[in-house]
Amino acid sequence: MLWDKEKIKSILPHREPFLFVDEIMEVVGSEKVVAAKYVRPDEFYFKGHFPGRPIMPGVIITEALAQASIVLYYVCKPHIAEKHPDYYLGRVKAEYLAPVFPGDKLIMEVSNVKIMDKAGVVDAVARVKDKTVAKASLVFGIKIDKD
Amino acid sequence: MAANVEADIAKMVAEIIEVPVEKLKPDSDFFKDLGVDSLKAIEIVAAFEKKYRVIIPEKDIPKIRTLAQILEYTKGLNIK
Repeated sequence: MLWDKEKIKSILPHREPFLFVDEIMEVVGSEKVVAAKYVRPDEFYFKGHFPGRPIMPGVIITEALAQASIVLYYVCKPHIAEKHPDYYLGRVKAEYLAPVFPGDKLIMEVSNVKIMDKAGVVDAVARVKDKTVAKASLVFGIKIDKD
Repeated sequence: MAANVEADIAKMVAEIIEVPVEKLKPDSDFFKDLGVDSLKAIEIVAAFEKKYRVIIPEKDIPKIRTLAQILEYTKGLNIK
């Protein structure tokens, strides 16, 4: 583990129960971040999605990928990320390929397509073990308070 | 620059900004005429860079506001 939850929380503004990055496993220069989310049986969304048949919602997988993207942004632009700007997700193209269940370790690989001061484009893949469960292209913006 | 490169770029831009390619006039301003916001503009740049394996410097991005300007910019990049 490269980053634990405390370090992640020093960068991400999200908090439980809406923090979906548990650890950073790998950082490849400014090109890629590999993150993990341990999908616990008591996740809040399993209560309704679905009763008796818990499956991680695709939108939550997308949110987890977006949060991992912020870590990649930090790696690329630490001088801005350290000021805790607002991050907003602008556009998502996603495919959901397999269900994610309680107990799974969701591994997220987020790759830099283009990251600039005020915006970023990343390609992301989520997998459980060796199986790809989702792929997405994310576009996000960054707004610093004094803008 | 080959006509097929021009057509490919027009198609790529049209897909991102979600307008039919025939409505994408060379001098239409992405922001004023086509409703492109800053994030879609970045998406166009990123798609362009990925497809043609070039880097567009951040300072050049605001100068590219029309399809004609993209094609003009492309001339300097030796894209075939």
